[in-house]
Amino acid sequence: MYKTEVRGPLILGDKNYRQISSDIIAPIDQPIPNWWKAVFGVSMLATLFGVYAIYTTLVEGIGTWGVNNSVGWGWEIINFVWWIGIGHAGTAFSIFLLILRQKWRTSINRAAEAMTVVAVGCAALFPALHMGRVWMMFYIFPYPNSRGPLWVNFNSPLFWDFIAISAYLLISASFWYFGMVPDFATIRDKTTSKVKRAVYGFFAFGWTGSSREWLRYEALSYVLGGIAAVLVVSVHSIVSTDFAVSVIPGWHTAVFPPYFVVGAIFSGFAMVMTLMIIIRKIYKFQDYVTDSHLNAIAKILIFVSLIMGTAYATEIFMAWYSGSTYEMFTFFKNRITGDYSFQFWAMVVCNAFIPQLFWFKKVRQNLTIAFIISILINVGMWYERFNILITSLSKDYLPSSWTVYSPTWVEIGIYIGTLGMFVAGVLLFFKYIPMIAISEVKSILKVTSINKNEKTNASHE
Amino acid sequence: MNKNHIIGVFDDEDSLMSAVHEVKEKGFEIWEVFTPYPIHEVIEAMGKKTRFTFAAFIYGFLGAAGVLAFMYYTAVIDWPINYGGKPTNAFPSFIVVTIVITILTVTLASLFTFSLRAKIYPGKAYILPDARSTDDKFVMVFDKSKQNSGSGDLESILLKKGAVEVYEKELQPQI
Repeated sequence: MYKTEVRGPLILGDKNYRQISSDIIAPIDQPIPNWWKAVFGVSMLATLFGVYAIYTTLVEGIGTWGVNNSVGWGWEIINFVWWIGIGHAGTAFSIFLLILRQKWRTSINRAAEAMTVVAVGCAALFPALHMGRVWMMFYIFPYPNSRGPLWVNFNSPLFWDFIAISAYLLISASFWYFGMVPDFATIRDKTTSKVKRAVYGFFAFGWTGSSREWLRYEALSYVLGGIAAVLVVSVHSIVSTDFAVSVIPGWHTAVFPPYFVVGAIFSGFAMVMTLMIIIRKIYKFQDYVTDSHLNAIAKILIFVSLIMGTAYATEIFMAWYSGSTYEMFTFFKNRITGDYSFQFWAMVVCNAFIPQLFWFKKVRQNLTIAFIISILINVGMWYERFNILITSLSKDYLPSSWTVYSPTWVEIGIYIGTLGMFVAGVLLFFKYIPMIAISEVKSILKVTSINKNEKTNASHE
Repeated sequence: MNKNHIIGVFDDEDSLMSAVHEVKEKGFEIWEVFTPYPIHEVIEAMGKKTRFTFAAFIYGFLGAAGVLAFMYYTAVIDWPINYGGKPTNAFPSFIVVTIVITILTVTLASLFTFSLRAKIYPGKAYILPDARSTDDKFVMVFDKSKQNSGSGDLESILLKKGAVEVYEKELQPQI
C-alpha cells in the first residue's frame, strides 16, 4: 500500500497498548463530573420543552404551527434536512475513509458515528410529526393490509425518503454497534466492578478476539463499508428529490442531489470538528485527536466549502441562463434581495466565505477560532435550508398567494427539544461508551507512533 | 484439574509472529490465537478463509430481485393505480427503493451471518484463555492432546521467541 509521511504520527505521547485502553476507558470508570450533570440537566429541560411542544402539536394539531397554505413546509422540514445533514458525517467519515484506507479516521470515527445515530434519530422525528396524525404513520409501510390491500406509491420521493431514513438509521446504528463489540470486551475484561463486567459483558456478545472472530469481523467491516458508501450519497440525494421533482421555482434543478450531498457532508464534518474539539479539551485526548487530525478536517472543510460556493453560484447562474422569469424572480428578487436576503447572505457568508479562513495555518491551529467556524458552518447550513424552503414557497407563481412565514413557539420548541436530545445523547455517549475505537487505534499504533521501533512494516494494507 | 491447554503470552506483534512461524515449522498445531486487534498475518497463518463477500453478493442479489418483484406485484398486478398517466411499471422510479432495500438486506443479512459464523451473540458462553488478550497481550493457545512431540519442547520455543509467560490451563466457558 502506498504510504506517505504527510500525516505525521497519529498517536502522540509514547503510548503502549495498555495505556491506550486505560486512557480511553478512563471516563467510563471515573465518577460523573459536575459539568456533565449540569449540561445533561439543561439538555433534559430542553428535551422536556420539546416534548411539551410535541404534545401540543398532537393534541391541537398542525394548526399550532406557523405553516400556512403557501408555506406548507416550515421549520420542521428545515430542521429535518439539517439534522439529516449532520447525520451524514459518521458514515462519510468511517466509510469513505475506511475505503480510502485513511488511518487517521480511527481516532474520530466512533464519535462521528455516535453523532450520526443521534442526529438521524432527531431528524426522523420531524417527518413523522409533519404527517399530522402521527398515529396513522403505519399507513406508509407497504404491508398486506385490510384496506384493499392498498399499497404505497413507490414513485413518490416522500416514500423513498421514508425508506432511506429508516434504512440509514438501522444501518448506521448496526455499523456503529459492531464496531464497539471488541471495545466492550476490553472493558469487560479490564473493569473491577461486577456490574460493569456484567453489563458490558452482555453487550460484548462473548467477544474474545480470536483469529476466527477477527477474520470475519474484518470481512464484515469491508462489506458494510463498501455497501454503505452508496448510502452516504443516496440518502441525501433522496432528500433532495423531495424538492427537486416538484415544479417550484428554486427547487426544480438538476444540481440538487450533489448539492445536498455535499452540503450534508459539510455540516457533518463541521459538527465532527465541534465535537472533537470538545472531547479533546474535556477528556484530554490530545494524544489521540492530535492537531494534525483537526488540521485534516479543516482542510476537508475548505474543499467542501469551495464546492458549496460553486453550487450557490451555479444555481444563480442557471436562474439567469434558463431565462425563466420565475427562477429569475426567486433568485434575484427573493433571495439575493428581498424579504429573506438576510438568510441568503448569512448562508453565503457562513458556508462559502468564512471557512476559507482555514487556508491560513494560524486559523487552523487556533482551536478557538476553528471551534467558532465549525459552529458557524452549521448555522450557515441551517440558513441554507431556510433559504431553499421558505423563499421558494412563500412567493411562487401566483402573487395572490404570496405570504410570509414565521414560526410559532411550538415549532421553535420542537427544534429546541431535538437540540436537547442531541446533547443528551452525545453526553450519554461520552460517559458510557469508549469515545475512541480502542482496537482500531491499537492497530495503527505501530505504524504511526514515532517512538516505536521501525524494524517492521506492520501495515498490512 | 486437567490442565489440557498450553498458553503462550506475548507482549508484541513481532515476537508473536515469529513464534507462530516457528511452531508451525516444527509441526505443532495452534489451537487459536487471541489478539487485541486484527492482525492479518495471524489470520493468514491460521489458514482460515472466509467466503463472506460471496455471501454478501448473494444477499444483495436476492434483496434486489425480491424488492423489484414485490414492487412489480403491488404496483402492476395487485392494485394498478394511474399516477398522472405514468406507466404502472415505472421501473426508473423503482430503482431508488431497490438500491436502499438492497443495501439494507446486505447489511442485516451480513450481520446475522457474522453473528452465526463468528459465534458472536448475546449471552454467549465464551472461552477466553487469558483475559489480558483484549487489552495488551497477544495469546497463543495449544491443545496438548493434539501435539505430536512433547510440550516441553513447545514451551522452550515459545520462551525463546519472546513469550513473557507460558503456562498450562484448563479452558472453561464463561458467561
